[in-house]
Amino acid sequence: MNRRDVLRNLALITGGLVMVPSCDFSQEDILSAYDKLKVSTDMKQLLGKIADTIIPPGKIKGALDLEIQDFILVMVNDCLDEDAQQSFTKGFKSFENYTINKTGNKFGQLETSQKEEVVLAGLQEEDEDYKDLQGFLGTTKRFTIQGFLLSEYMQTEVKPYSLIPGDYQGEVLISSLKSEKING
Amino acid sequence: MPNIFFVKDQEHPYVQEKPFDWIRGYQVGGKSLLWARQVQRWSDFDFEGPARDGFAVDWPIRYKELAPWYSHVEKFAGVSGNMDGLPHLPDGEFLPGYPLNVVEKHFQAQMKKHYGDSRHMILARCAHINGNFDYYAQQGRAKCQSRNLCQRGCPFGGYFSANSSTLPWAEKTGNMTLRPDSVVHSIIYDEEKGKATGVRVIDRLSKEMEEFYADVIFVNAAALNTNLVLLNSTSNRFPNGLGNDNGLLGKYVAFHNYRAGVSADYEGHLEYTTQGGRPTSGYFPRFRNVFKQETDFLRGYAAGFSANRGPYADQSGIGMELKENILNPDKWGPWRIGSHMMGETIPKESGYVALDPNLKDEWGIPQLRVNVDYDDNDEKMIKDYLEQMTEMFDKAGFTNIRTRDDHRAPGLDIHEMGGVRMGKDPNTSLLNANNQLHAVPNVYVTDGASMTSTATQNPSLTYMAFAARAAHHAMKNI
Repeated sequence: MNRRDVLRNLALITGGLVMVPSCDFSQEDILSAYDKLKVSTDMKQLLGKIADTIIPPGKIKGALDLEIQDFILVMVNDCLDEDAQQSFTKGFKSFENYTINKTGNKFGQLETSQKEEVVLAGLQEEDEDYKDLQGFLGTTKRFTIQGFLLSEYMQTEVKPYSLIPGDYQGEVLISSLKSEKING
Repeated sequence: MPNIFFVKDQEHPYVQEKPFDWIRGYQVGGKSLLWARQVQRWSDFDFEGPARDGFAVDWPIRYKELAPWYSHVEKFAGVSGNMDGLPHLPDGEFLPGYPLNVVEKHFQAQMKKHYGDSRHMILARCAHINGNFDYYAQQGRAKCQSRNLCQRGCPFGGYFSANSSTLPWAEKTGNMTLRPDSVVHSIIYDEEKGKATGVRVIDRLSKEMEEFYADVIFVNAAALNTNLVLLNSTSNRFPNGLGNDNGLLGKYVAFHNYRAGVSADYEGHLEYTTQGGRPTSGYFPRFRNVFKQETDFLRGYAAGFSANRGPYADQSGIGMELKENILNPDKWGPWRIGSHMMGETIPKESGYVALDPNLKDEWGIPQLRVNVDYDDNDEKMIKDYLEQMTEMFDKAGFTNIRTRDDHRAPGLDIHEMGGVRMGKDPNTSLLNANNQLHAVPNVYVTDGASMTSTATQNPSLTYMAFAARAAHHAMKNI
């Protein structure tokens, strides 16, 4: 079994519970791990940029640092039904044209603030013509947040997951809770 | 890739004459790794149900005969709970209970206020170690750490499972041989001796058949598979399955009705939240038709109940604003209230399992045909549960009350029961009061297959009590 097959199987077996590790699929246009989505390398890169606009890097890592695009694709490929997958793909494919219509440029060429404007505008589209685009961005945002919060980085370094959370307390005053603000 | 914890229907096919989700776990430890760990005792209001209400057949035993065995298994397994003093949900040998939260206590008080002594919301008793630690340390088990990761199999042995408790205990005797990858084909019946003498087993991997011999045989393959094994155990004496002289083997299969739920919000006690984990929740023992028949349907339902609260984040924006928000969830909504029903269903001759005459699985064992469905009584019960829970939620001051009926197929409750029912009369039942096949007394069945009726309680504790009682009987008599 070659490395690519191993990675593909890993992606399929884990069903999105574990993030696919960094991998180079550059020899191949259509990524085999996401066989139901017909995603090319370029599209995956674009998805990474969109995710990074939704959760950018700062004091702590952002979506692209954590390769959340792989998490998104595994989730959509393995966990959504066929209709939702088709709509996702359709919306995804229309995104670059949508960006060019809005700004005159490709997404990758925009400044951060412009990228945010395009993604926000797309998320807020109510027009029936942009239903798939709006759905694609909504799904991408949802899985970006999920993948970010559940990433190994987040669960071990930023907000370590408590293996033993302690005995149940059913009457805790919210005002007594101490929480340290985490700066993004 | 081996199967983990749940079998795949494709690899273990069965025939659904009517929709039925047959949930199976063929790993060592079986479904004891996966169960919900809720352990409520039956009372005579359950054992006397069929006789009082005129369905199925009368149970051959009563609560007082099973009570010492409930105690026996509760002490061994470890059951936490409160002494609630309810005649229809008898108290047992309890380790300290887990706390109800502030809103669950509010609801409990509201029930008392509005319904007096007729409806109770209590802490559900669960098979988790919350005391008597030295005793359970002998089984190699430790205190439940309230992690709520039970379905992965607990490294602490915090809840009762075969893996954490009975198998290590059996191993200590030096007499146990554990044989995973064994597919039981059938029970061997010796006509001359007039008893069962052994078991035919197929190796899962090599597919070779091997025979094992014993003086006493317990068939506890989990309700429907127990039916399958007995139906497949044919001989000249028993052409229709072992012990099946009356043709009732596989019939009167029933389950628990889990179709409906009610959820709501509560805008009170907003200054409070909860912390930590808890392996159990609130529980409504059955309050319908307990002491007498009072509705247009037979029997009734128990219900789960819980109130939960936690912070959430504003996820409306994108960029740094969104990132800061999700890193620091600080919004507090109302308490979320939830309940689900656990309805008793009536076993009927039309609810059955049978062997398919042609289709076989990979090991050459006939596929099981399942024909089990809801009936009019179940529909009326769902309606009543939704009405009553809505009324109770309303009286407790809950708002935004939402009802649901998810129309799930039977089986998802994973409480399938019957087919090899107990009874007094060999003409109308398969097993006697000691869980022995009437016609083959050295064969015992003490799992869900033996159940004459289903009651509303999560059934495993009752199977365990039957098993301990029957094992004791076999030791003494055979």
